Amino acid sequence: MQSDLVLRVAGESGEGVITIGETLCKIAAREGIHIVTFRTFPAEIKGGSCMIQVRLSERRIPYHGEGVDFLVCLNQDAVDENLPDLKEHGVLLCEAECDLPEKNPGWTAYKVPFDRIATREIGSRISKNIVVLGALSHLLSLPKETIEKFISEKFARKGKTVLDHNLDALQRGFDFARSHLAKKDSYRLPKGSGRKRLLMTGNEAIAIGATAAGMRYFFGYPITPASEIMEWLAAHLPKMGGVVLQTEDEISAICSVAGASWAGGKSMTSTSGPGLSLMSETIGLLSMAEIPAVIVDSQRGGPSTGMPTKTEQSDLLLALYGSHGDATRVVMAPTSVSDSLRVTALAFAVAEKYQLPVIMLVDQALSARLETVDRETVERLPQGSRSCASPADGAPFVRYQLGGSAVSPAALPGTQGGEHMVTGMEHDERGNFACDEETHTAMTVKRFRKLAAIESDPLVAEFCTRLGDENSEVGIVTWGSSAGPVEEALAIAKGLGISAQAIIPRILNPLPHQELKTFFGKVKRVIVPELNFVGQLATLLRSTYRIPTIGLTKVKGVPLAPSEIVEKIVEAESTLNARSTRAYGRAG
Amino acid sequence: MEELDKSCEYLSGVCPVWCPGCGYYGILSALVEAFADLKLPTKELTLVSGIGCSSRLPYFVKAYGFHSIHGRGLPIAQGVKTANPELTVLAVGGDGDGLAIGGGHLPHVARNNVDITYLLFNNAIYGMTKGQFSPTTTLYPVTKTSPFGLAGEAINPSALAIVYGATFVARGFSVKKEHLKELIIQGIHHRGFSFIEVLASCSSFNTTDMNVARIVKNLEMIPEDHNPEDAIEALRLAADQEKIRLGVFVRNQRPTLGDKFQEMRRKAKGKGAANMEALLGQFA
Repeated sequence: MQSDLVLRVAGESGEGVITIGETLCKIAAREGIHIVTFRTFPAEIKGGSCMIQVRLSERRIPYHGEGVDFLVCLNQDAVDENLPDLKEHGVLLCEAECDLPEKNPGWTAYKVPFDRIATREIGSRISKNIVVLGALSHLLSLPKETIEKFISEKFARKGKTVLDHNLDALQRGFDFARSHLAKKDSYRLPKGSGRKRLLMTGNEAIAIGATAAGMRYFFGYPITPASEIMEWLAAHLPKMGGVVLQTEDEISAICSVAGASWAGGKSMTSTSGPGLSLMSETIGLLSMAEIPAVIVDSQRGGPSTGMPTKTEQSDLLLALYGSHGDATRVVMAPTSVSDSLRVTALAFAVAEKYQLPVIMLVDQALSARLETVDRETVERLPQGSRSCASPADGAPFVRYQLGGSAVSPAALPGTQGGEHMVTGMEHDERGNFACDEETHTAMTVKRFRKLAAIESDPLVAEFCTRLGDENSEVGIVTWGSSAGPVEEALAIAKGLGISAQAIIPRILNPLPHQELKTFFGKVKRVIVPELNFVGQLATLLRSTYRIPTIGLTKVKGVPLAPSEIVEKIVEAESTLNARSTRAYGRAG
Repeated sequence: MEELDKSCEYLSGVCPVWCPGCGYYGILSALVEAFADLKLPTKELTLVSGIGCSSRLPYFVKAYGFHSIHGRGLPIAQGVKTANPELTVLAVGGDGDGLAIGGGHLPHVARNNVDITYLLFNNAIYGMTKGQFSPTTTLYPVTKTSPFGLAGEAINPSALAIVYGATFVARGFSVKKEHLKELIIQGIHHRGFSFIEVLASCSSFNTTDMNVARIVKNLEMIPEDHNPEDAIEALRLAADQEKIRLGVFVRNQRPTLGDKFQEMRRKAKGKGAANMEALLGQFA
């Protein structure tokens, strides 16, 4: 029996495609199965084609799978668009009326009149997706009682009629499949450990991570694909005594964060590229005034409005350098849903401890994908807090102390004897404006010393991971959600007898210099897979370490496929073996 | 003399950067005297500003001060008040800061009814950048960036604040210090967003618009029988082209942003327990 199943459901937005996928995930997570998903969103508000791909496995998986084992199509368009991705011996379950190509490489096809059963037998066209679930539960041997329980939970508050329709739909789908479809394939739900896992999206993980880190003040402006972070927090943060305010724009959001944070509250905003562009000036203020803040950017495709519902990793340079002057900030990028939870907590720990803005980069695919998370992840989150002063009465409070630690204790408004100025202007130790030569140099150095301190803080030690064969000369450096396909690619390459290794820093500013230098000392080729056109991480690595890189970039609005990375590994490996004088591929 | 000493306790000792003859000195005096009258503890006093001559004010006051970036004093003040409702939060800024670059924030802080006091210093010119027109420039049309006259009509700050739904709207004049002090005291006392427009002359770059003699000649106090809950009448007074009205145009009560947050917390409590375990339950 297979330990891994890649299942895709495709149809038109509004047909309940996502519900089918999510129900499967929910059931599987309760069985203790590991899950990673990928879903597309139509650009239209209503209608348009959409799909959800679910990979279920007995072991932890880094990627949603390349090639589909089990394809479910609700209409002809879905068949036409998705059939090319079905594996040679895969299974197709589709609407009875769909036409299939004459040439069949070895698929098993099952046809079910979903529409007819829903419309004529049940009298509720919208229950079609539950009919599909019924058929699936027979074909994949899903625990039917668990599905019934789940449907009861989901539809209970919609009244008895709706619930009965859906339970009826599940039964009829199941019955039709059992009596009409002879199981000809061997695919079934992988075995779970029985240890229930949490199931959440990247955006939910960020919201949970922030709440667990003690964030209680959220200000934001709606933007795809980050809105769900604010929506989740709006529903739940007030329970914890916190507040969520939708502001008039992203500038107001980040400025409100600055104010709330200065007053002592752990504060945050979330946005996408256009919003981060607007926030740039305030990031400089936070850096200058030394105020903690966490800014989440769920990246989408392209500059300007670009492709709001598609994924990309093209805001790295904006996050690193956006804002005028030498403005210190930390940039982080989690790789998975579970990692998003941990890195969000780390972002707060670092922001508070070092009194500076932390920008956390995720992307549309990571924000939207459902993934299983172990409950223990939530219990072991990094922690850090702001150092606060107990000012002596009488003497003026020194907010920005030079000499000693780069971090000076803050006095929160309301503290006796701590009255002081914070300002975006260059300032002296007391916060009064000063633009003499010595002060500007000393204060700039003070602000940048914080980055050096972060780099060697034990808090960040576990946030740079190595994968693959540590003796291999083919190296990969990647960031964010591209780490998933890289991990998968390393496993595939290993299967082909090719060794490679990867390093994945979660903190991109300051870079983990020690780890990277060691890595670059070992490898002879450096491949940098990332989802942007110019090779933004590659640019950073070349300018920081003066090393040649082999770029692997993609701007199609979808994640990298492991096979694309394997191809580069094979190429790099062959240049090594040939001992070619043209050792490196074209940089970039 | 004793009273003067008390108000001096609110000065930080940093010498104001303003030009000789600047109208803002009068506003600073009125402000520290108001603080002294109210006996506000300096540790609870918070002044937030944007950028411009007026926005330098927090440096000169003994308080917690936040001199931020151009136009953004209001949302920062909103954040401060949200995170610590115990603080007395004031925002200060100029006509360019509050009505040009930061003009998008005023309607929202007003409709949110954030419990802060906002002093908009209106001198009808960009003084810090040395003499370009502002959104309130009218009578002095030829400035460094409008050598052939102004392109747009001037904004009336108080009228705008009334239309935006601010729950306290008043206009003062830097020369009438006692009157201004009373307005500031009322503004701080008011529960909700208090908007105070303060007319002040720029002695270096525009002595025409806020010409003291002209204002003194044209000013008229808002009649004592004016009903501050009558927004239409308030608007008529604020927008008066003939007379420059001083006093309180609007004063009314509605829930503040802080009240709304409390209400949201109360409603949310009914939707589940307040701990991580309960929050994680929905993902199981």
